[in-house]
Parts: sequence; C-alpha cells; structure tokens
Amino acid sequence: MPFSVLFKKFKSILERNNAILELIADMGDKLGGDYVYDRQYIFDSCEKLGDQVFKLVSDLSLLCQRKNVALFNTFERIQQQIQAELAGRRALSRPDHILPLAELTHDLADEGGNKMANVGDIRNILGFTVPEGFVITAGAYFEVMERAGLRQQAAETTRRLCDSQGAELAAEAERLGRTIREMPLPKGLARAIEQAAKRLSEGGRYLLAVRSSAWGEDGESSFAGMYESVLGVAPGDILAAYRRVLASLFCEEALRYRLHREQCGEEPAMAVGVMRMVEATVSGGLYTYAPLEEQDQAMVVSAAWGLGKPIVDGTAETDTYLVGREPPHTLISSDIAAKTTMLCLDPAGGTSTCDVPPPERDAPCLSAGQLDRLARTAMALERFFKRPLDVEWALTDADELVILQARPLSIRPRYCALSADAADAAGDAPVLLSGRGITAMGGVSSGPVHLVTEGQDLSDFPYGAILVARHSSPRYAKVMPKCRGIITDVGSATGHMATIARELRVPTLVGAGSATRTLRQGQEITLDADHIIVYEGFVEALCRNELVREDVFEESWEYRTLKRVLRHISPLTLLDPKADSFRPEGCKTFHDIARYVHQRAVDKLISLSETHQELTKGARKLATQLPLGLTVIDVEGGLDPAAGNDATEDDIRCRPLRAILDGMNATGMWETAPVAVDMSSFMSSVTRTLSADMAHPAAMGRNLAVISKEYLNLHLRLGYHFTVVDAFLGGSVNDNVIFFRFMGGVTDFTRRSRRATLVAAVLEHFDFVAEIKGDMVMGRVKKHPTRAMLDKMFMLGGLIGYTRQLDAKLDSDEAGQRHLELFLNRIAAVRET
Amino acid sequence: MTPDTPETPASGPDAPAQRPRTSILVLDDEPIVCKRLKPFFQKAGYEVEAFNLPAEALSRVEERRFDVVITDLKMQGLDGLAFLGKVKALYPDTDVIVITGFATMETARESFRKGVFDFVAKPFKLAKILDGVRRIEKERGLVP
Repeated sequence: MPFSVLFKKFKSILERNNAILELIADMGDKLGGDYVYDRQYIFDSCEKLGDQVFKLVSDLSLLCQRKNVALFNTFERIQQQIQAELAGRRALSRPDHILPLAELTHDLADEGGNKMANVGDIRNILGFTVPEGFVITAGAYFEVMERAGLRQQAAETTRRLCDSQGAELAAEAERLGRTIREMPLPKGLARAIEQAAKRLSEGGRYLLAVRSSAWGEDGESSFAGMYESVLGVAPGDILAAYRRVLASLFCEEALRYRLHREQCGEEPAMAVGVMRMVEATVSGGLYTYAPLEEQDQAMVVSAAWGLGKPIVDGTAETDTYLVGREPPHTLISSDIAAKTTMLCLDPAGGTSTCDVPPPERDAPCLSAGQLDRLARTAMALERFFKRPLDVEWALTDADELVILQARPLSIRPRYCALSADAADAAGDAPVLLSGRGITAMGGVSSGPVHLVTEGQDLSDFPYGAILVARHSSPRYAKVMPKCRGIITDVGSATGHMATIARELRVPTLVGAGSATRTLRQGQEITLDADHIIVYEGFVEALCRNELVREDVFEESWEYRTLKRVLRHISPLTLLDPKADSFRPEGCKTFHDIARYVHQRAVDKLISLSETHQELTKGARKLATQLPLGLTVIDVEGGLDPAAGNDATEDDIRCRPLRAILDGMNATGMWETAPVAVDMSSFMSSVTRTLSADMAHPAAMGRNLAVISKEYLNLHLRLGYHFTVVDAFLGGSVNDNVIFFRFMGGVTDFTRRSRRATLVAAVLEHFDFVAEIKGDMVMGRVKKHPTRAMLDKMFMLGGLIGYTRQLDAKLDSDEAGQRHLELFLNRIAAVRET
Repeated sequence: MTPDTPETPASGPDAPAQRPRTSILVLDDEPIVCKRLKPFFQKAGYEVEAFNLPAEALSRVEERRFDVVITDLKMQGLDGLAFLGKVKALYPDTDVIVITGFATMETARESFRKGVFDFVAKPFKLAKILDGVRRIEKERGLVP
C-alpha cells in the first residue's frame, strides 16, 4: 500500500481521535446542571460516538493491514453494554438478585426500588447510619414471577381490571395475592435468600424487617401504607415473608391506586429490602415541615419508647416536639405524653406490646442533644432529596441514631405550596452576583458565607454555611455534608469537586468570577444556582420553592442514563503503553479504545518510517539537545533535501516546527531539575496506573512530528503529559491556524487542574480561545499574520518546556499565579533577545 | 390543615404596582424538557404552562394568548412548524422560540420564514433560553 494512503489513514485517525475526545467531553458537560437535554440527545450522542469509535478501529485495521479482531471484539462488548443501558428498565445492570445495601444508591433504583435506593443513598452517599441489610432485586421479582408462570397472569389481571374499571377487583386481587403467597420460588434464589438472611441475622441473633420497595413507591407516588412490611422475622421464615411482600404488589388498595393514577400501563415490580431489626430504646417519626400554619418554619418530631410501628400507625401515645428548621434548631415547644405501653421485640420472633416502667412513663423520650442531632440529620436529608420529608428513625441503647427510612412528605404544609409570589420575593432582594458562572449542581440554598482560602484547615467549617473559595477543590468534599452551597471564582463543571457536589446534591456555582471579592465573611446570602444569581439575605420563598419542584433532575431517567452510559465511555484506564494491560482486551471504555488506537497509529507510522525509508523518504530521527526522542516525517519540503539520515535542527525547513523548537531551546524554558513529588501526589499518580520512572527522559519513548514546509502535526508524550500541536502557518493569513491540546499529569486532580488553569491563562494571554474540560486544555487561534503566529509557536515551545512536571510544584493557588507571572516574564525576556 | 389562602402582597404607599407576569407556553413531547423548563421559568418570575401533547397545547392556545411560546419541532402527532403557524395565525404578536434536536438549515430557514423569534438547538443551556425570553420582553416592551 502506498505511503500516501497509509498517511491519509493516519491523519484520519488523528482527526477522529480529536472528534471522539470532544464528544466525550461534551457528554460529560451535560451532567452539570446548566443544560437541558432529552433522551434523543443521549441516543444520538451514543450513536455518533459508537460510529466514530468503530471507524477509528477500522482505520487502525487498515493502517496496520490486519484484521485486528480483538479490538473489534472489545468495541462490540462496550457497545453492547451501552446499548443495554439505553434499553432502559429491563436491562438491569446487576444480574445478581441479591444486592448488599452497601452497594445500593439511586443509580440502582431500578434494581433496588425507590425506597431501598433512598436508604442506600442515606448510608452510602450521606454517610448516616441505617440498619444493615440487603435487597432482593426487581430482577429477582421478574424471575420468580416468570418461573411460576405468573408474570403473564398478573399483567392480564391488571389489564382486565383497568378495562373493566375495577369491578371484581377485590376478588381478583385476593385470588392473585393468594397464588403469589403460595407460589414456589426458584431453588437457587431461595437458597441465596436464606443464606443472606442467615448471615444478616448472625445465625438468629437478630430478627429481620422485610420491607416493600416497589418501583415508584416513595417516588412520585407514595403508595404509603399499601404494600406490606413484615417485622421481627426470624431467618427461617424469610421466604414466607418475601412472598407476602411480593403479593402485596397486587393488593386491592395498590391496584385501585394504580387504576386511579392511570399507571395500569406500566409493569409494576417489587424489590424487597431485608434489614436487621434495630433494638430501639426510642423510635419515632419526623416531618421536616410541620403541617401547622402558625409554625411554618418548624419541623415536628414524634417519639415514643420502644419500636416505632405504633407511632407510624398512630396507635401509641407519643411525645411531640416542634423544632426550628434553621440552625441552631431551637426547641419551640414540647408536649410530653403519658406513655403506658410500648412495642418490644419478641426474642422468639415477631413483636409484642409491653408495659413502660413507671418512672419512664411521663419522662420525655428525647434530650436536647438528641433533638439537635435529629434536626441536623433531617435537614441534611431534606437538602439531599430536595423535598420535605417524612423520616423514620430510631435510637439504640448505645445512643446511636439510625435512619430507618425517608420518604417524600405527602401532606405538604400550606406554606410549602408553590406560591406565585416566589419570584416577587426574590425580585425585591438585592442581587449580589448575577449571570456569571457555570451551574455545576442546580438548586437554591441559603446560609452565611464562609470564605475558604487555600490550604486552610476545614475542620471548623460552620454547619449550614455556604462555602466561597477562589478555586474549586476536591478537598471540599469533606465539608460538603455540612455546607449548603458552594461558589467558586474559578472551576469547571466537569471537575472532581463538581462531581462530588452532584453526588451530594449541594447547589454549586463555579467560575463565578469575583465571588471571593464580592461576598463578605458571615454575610447571609441565598444562592440560586439554576439562575446563576446570588441574593443578599435569606430569600425564603425561593428556598421553599426548591422543595416543591415537580421533578428532581438527578432522579430523571435522562440524567441517570447519561451517567450510566458515560461509565462505559469516558474513564481513561489505559495509560501506560508499556504496561501488560495495554492491549485491546484491556480497554474498558471508548476512551481507552481511542487512546489505544492513537498510540498504535503513532507507533505504526514511526516503525513504517524506520523500516521502509524508501516509502517514507523524509523520515528521520531528529538529533537535538532536547530529550524529545522525536521522529520527523517529512511529507513535503519540511527538511533540507541535503540532510542526511540523522537530521539536525539546522536541517528543518518547517517553519512552525522551527519556531516551537526555538521556544523549547530558549534559555531557561526547559525545566531540567528533577522534581520532588510528594507522597500523596505520588500515590494518586500510582492509581492512575503510570509508573514513576516514566518521568525519566530516557523512558519517554518516541514522539512524532509530521511536517511540510508550512504544516506541523506534533504528538508529544513527555512523562505523564500528552501534548498535540497542529499548525498550518505561512499560506494566506486566513489559512493560518494553531490547535493545541494538553492533558494528563502526575499529581492529584487539584494540582493538575491548577496547571490546566495556568496553561489556559497563558493561552488566553496569547489570543488563543482556550477551553478546559476536566484535565484537558484545548486552545485554538486563527487568522493572525504569519509572523505573529510563529511567535505564538515559539511561546508554545516555551510553555511545553516550562509546564513539564510543573503540576508537582503547584501546591497552592498562589503558586499557580506566581508561575503564570514567571512564565510570562521569562517568555517576554527571551523573545526580546 | 388549614385551607390555602393567598399570601397578602406587600401593600402601602411605597408598594410597586403589580405588573402582569410574562406568560409562557412550553410544548415538547419529551417530558424532561417540560419538567425542567417549567420550574426554571416559574422561579424566574414567569407564568408558565407546559404540555407534552401537541393536541392539548393546541386547544389551550385556542383558549388564551401567551406572550411567548417555546415549542419543539419534531413531535408525535403534530409538526412543530404547523403548531407555530397556528399560534402566529391566532396571535401575530406572540413570539415563538423553536427548540429542536434536529437542526438543519432547511428547518431553521422555514421557521424564520414563519416568523420565529429564535431557534435553539437541543441540548441548550438554561441561561440561553432565558436570555431569548428576556430579549422578547425587551423588544415587546413587556419589562420597564
């Protein structure tokens, strides 16, 4: 095959690679709160991406003139995973039917049901204590019903009832329920459930609670109290309890509810949660908004001795406390009841009613400290779920607060209703900041400003404050559970901190420009991240509105699906070309495939040029003082025709390459001193699967420049950094263009983002349009006169040299600023000489 | 629970006169678009009605006029272009913003010919569509 054809393939690989990386970055951007996208966008993006990656693999196949079966297989596997995610509910991403609570979050709400997914979030994202447990998934339900031949029957019964508007409903429901309670369970599943129950109960030491967690339950529809929960179950009775809960999916009330809400068309499914019974000394419920007009800013707590069921059922005498919603959560009133009986666990299984010992009958169940703890926990939950909540909780013997469940409050207090005056209330509040910034996480919140400076100890971060800082930092993850909002002057919506803020649903605005200068320590503000506005004071109406949103965006199918498909698309796990895993089989994501193909293509072109000099004619190893390991492929007129096999810098006729090498050679630009990498940075580099010795120039491997007189395509891997420069300079002014891309780094994310910020600032200083996506910086500049463009190439040479390993030194934002000035001064000095 | 009673608006000599809210109709057959735009505009002080079904939106515009209509172009049952034609025929001074995931020069040209105010390709930034509505308000003199 002629070299020109191969070279064309190579170029197409480079272009496709760029297109793929930009598509991936674009999809990642959409997870921020700024965009409105629909399912069509997700389908289209996945299709476009799949198409590009497939063509990329095909291009490589052609370039290397072999079939490349393994890489096609890998592509196919990843493509199928993505398709399965897109196919929606039936493609449950967990094939195992028993899911430990420790692995459950709302991402798996389809598998675990809403109620248990909420409990999973409370435990795994917010970090509060919940009972130990596991979920028997919705997938298990489908298998059970299918095997018993009941799935069809259930669907038909439901449809018939809907058609007949519910005549015969009671009898039909009873019949179906009985069949389900008596149906056989698949042997494998039954054994797995029994074993999991036995382990959970520690061989019978603990009794179990078996709870419904149906699709949609405690979501937009509450189905409150319709589905069954079986308490105090001995592990030996687990299967009967499981069937009872399943059967309740078709109880008369639930059928009527679905009929009434026109949900007959949707297939129902029942996941079932199994949790250890908590030996509660005190239990209770809590509404984050008291349903009382005159106390609209209060939450209400009910509490009684023993287990909580009689409280929820409303059959027990309970203490009632009203507590302020805002910190410090002052006790507004307490009403202590005479509590004569309580519900206790029966060691033999089940529960029984016992007498309360006389001294405790008239004593309050909760201390001030316990109430405060409850209030803080409840408000953290409300902020996360973005709705007023009904929280069930228990206190143990050891005074540990355990959250049993949290569901949206179905009775919405009057003041909580969406008021048309919300906007007016906001309209009157003085605006402190407006219109500048990117919404990393939407929402509204209010609190006092807490300014955080670089390196400041965060251990005294005040509860309920809004964090305001110069730069975004993943360090803030630590205080996010305490903080109500985040505003940073600089930052990106795809950064690490933004990701955590979305996990914890903390309203977050990044890139707000001057927040640290405008906002004062302790100043009370309201942040409306959706509209990118900061108001002075507590804009109550806006905050209340936040709690009655029709839909929480992060719970939408679109958000969850995009997040799920991106797991198969964007992480880069394949970094080190020398590692054993750098094989087609080692690719886990589309990003990996793109990285793999790119590396192989560069290798291929270099090896072609070395072994087939007659094909590539102009291919040379460039002899230079710089440790670049650079191979040059001259397509047309880029090298002196008289140059020998070992071309030197003097032989270069390619003007952009000359300029960039001059920049690298300029005094003081190439940082040669060894860089000390501190332990935490080093550890984080290890997890990025790079070996430390790669930083050594000798191990840097081969780099490639494809040149003509006016054109340069340069690929440099310097240690941990990947730099691409693509430039055409010297034709007409309108054709002049430089593209620059930079990614990677040895250290932790904070330092790498600092360097990205630094690089972008330099680029912008030199008229580039710069964009940061994660730790990737892209810059483009066009249509300047050739002389000015060559000057920019010179600067890029300097920048590449200067920033090499610089991230390790960027231990503070001040260091970033210092290095920016240092670089600009140095480059100005060497340009003058 | 007490029944809902409207909050009394601030009154007194200095209270500003109540200006009618700019009304917006949103039509998109993708529920997520309505679910995000409705609260977003409500919180920004607009009066919003959102529809997933073109037929319902159609019968609603036959009942009343909106200041701004935001509509998708490609929907099951009714073409967005037909809908905006209908709106413009009923109320020539209602401004329409078209949002679409299938932006071609052809459709863009066609919508502008039909008097569309702005054309926004999906996915779009919330700030961008708010900006469009604010420009309409300014041009129509809906804001002081």
